[in-house]
Amino acid sequence: MEPILETDNLWKIYHIGKVDSPALRGVSLQIMPGEFVAIMGPSGCGKSTLLHVLGGLAQATRGSVLLDGNDLSNMQDAERTQIRRCKVGFVFQRFNLLPTLDVRGNIRLAQHIYGNEFDPHRFEMTTNVLGLSHRLHHRPSELSGGEQQRVAIARAIINEPKILLADEPTGNLDTANSDAVLALLRQLHRDLGQTIMMITHNPEAAAYAGRVIHMRDGLIVDGIPA
Amino acid sequence: MMLELISRNILHRPIRTFITVVAVAVEVIMVLVVVGLTHGLVTDSAKRVEGIGADVMVQPPSASVFMAFSGAPMPIKLAGKLQELKHVRYVAPVLLQFSSSGRLDIVYGIDPQSFALVSGGFVFHEGHDLQNPDDILVDDWYAKARNLHAGNSMSILEHDFHVAGVVEHGKGARLFVQLKTLQELSGAQDKASVFFIKCDHPDDATAVTDEIQQMLPRYVVRSLKDYMSLMTSSNLPGLQIFINVMISLAVCIGFMVIFLSMYTTILERTREIGVLKSLGASKAYIVRVVLGETTLLCTVGAAVGAVASFVITHVLVHAFPTLVILIQPEWVFRAILIAIVGGLMGAAYPAWLASRRDPIESLAYE
Ligand SMILES: Nc1ncnc2c1ncn2[C@@H]1O[C@H](COP(=O)(O)OP(=O)(O)O)[C@@H](O)[C@H]1O
Ligand SMILES: [Mg+2]
Repeated sequence: MEPILETDNLWKIYHIGKVDSPALRGVSLQIMPGEFVAIMGPSGCGKSTLLHVLGGLAQATRGSVLLDGNDLSNMQDAERTQIRRCKVGFVFQRFNLLPTLDVRGNIRLAQHIYGNEFDPHRFEMTTNVLGLSHRLHHRPSELSGGEQQRVAIARAIINEPKILLADEPTGNLDTANSDAVLALLRQLHRDLGQTIMMITHNPEAAAYAGRVIHMRDGLIVDGIPA
Repeated sequence: MMLELISRNILHRPIRTFITVVAVAVEVIMVLVVVGLTHGLVTDSAKRVEGIGADVMVQPPSASVFMAFSGAPMPIKLAGKLQELKHVRYVAPVLLQFSSSGRLDIVYGIDPQSFALVSGGFVFHEGHDLQNPDDILVDDWYAKARNLHAGNSMSILEHDFHVAGVVEHGKGARLFVQLKTLQELSGAQDKASVFFIKCDHPDDATAVTDEIQQMLPRYVVRSLKDYMSLMTSSNLPGLQIFINVMISLAVCIGFMVIFLSMYTTILERTREIGVLKSLGASKAYIVRVVLGETTLLCTVGAAVGAVASFVITHVLVHAFPTLVILIQPEWVFRAILIAIVGGLMGAAYPAWLASRRDPIESLAYE
């Protein structure tokens, strides 16, 4: 089986004034389809940067990123945007829902950007799985943090992405809501075969994953592909 | 979905939306009322000249289409020569004078007999024709606007006149005095600004025009039909410039308001733009969101402005009966189009700016 995601000696260097600050210093990893991987590491070690480069939100400085066979590192912004649209779903710590749209609108927006006509079956299935059916006409401001993050997850998977990239999805949630969101991610992984890559600080959260990758100073310090 | 996103955004900031819509409406009102006023002015004065009922007009060399701006008047004895020509039935000499008391009015100095022959005579609402040197006739609109009646006195051209009669509007000017009186008042003894000629038959107009032109090569001789077709605001250079300046100003206002409105909007929504990008929205998609919102704002504003223009026109015409404002349907469409295109141009830079935002920086924006 081909990896869904593969990087080779991936570098990301931020230029701050005249100083070069490397956030990724040669990351090589492989994620297989259907895996649930957690990424752990101290603050500032490059976890978010890695996720952004893997999802095509940022351009790598050096090295390659193969996402479902497409090399993102050689791509222009427009091409990366298209790959992101078709193959990646993002979930952020801060939910990032559009405040003016209700739950339904937020999820449908993702379908619209994807270019799909409204697919009622997929919509219903997704909102059912995430327990949002009774919340469709609420604005984000009327929802709890746990509910908002469930909407964000629904929005991320509505177009059946090849991989779900989650950056500390439980970082803003209390324990009960964290557990609910993590249980949901595990359910998506187990029942729908969703490939998931999740950044977390919390070892209990990491325990939901099938594999944990540890990072430090822009490098993977274990979990190097076998 | 796009419409839902856009309308939600618009409803999210009602005051901003309100101000923007009002600004676009004001833009459209400015265009429609200015164009309507000038068009009304020109059409009204053309109609009134047409209403005299002459077939041909003779004006001095280098005379403007707009008679009030004509240069040195012609000797009145030309009237006799014109009268002798074949197919010419009647000749009415008229001296024109501007009166700027209060507001601009044109006074016709007429010889009551010849003017009545050419025009078929006034329809009197009150009073009688010019008899004494100090008599003046006013038309019904002027009388209504100034609350004048036969028997009143009024002062114009620094002279006290006695209102002899109130006549139906539509025969050249709104004010008529004796030719002799006006000649004396304006120091133009034995002069006329224009000769109105009635032919034996309207079909003779072309022949008569050619004949007079041969006799008086340097004079401006026109059939009334030609005159009417020349009476457009674009034939008066100053007026056209005025219209263009006013339209440009209106477009500038619309442009700047939309620019600022959309610029602040995309700043305020930096994070949301980042979210759209993280969902895979292309640059074109972001541009469509911004321009779609602009189009909606401008369309609503333009529609409000168009309706308001008619209301304002109605109110103005009621308040000032001599005012003629003609809003042409094609200008309604033009004004709406101008507002929308101007708005889209104003939104172009903000839209471009939004589309090329870095998604990660946008998502980190507080
Ligand atoms: N946009 C940026 N510009 C400059 N430096 C950045 C930027 N984003 C992140 N960094 C730096 O890169 C390093 C890795 O950051 P990040 O990937 O956010 O770490 P983590 O998510 O593991 O906390 C940090 O030193 C951070 O300061
Ligand atoms: Mg981070």
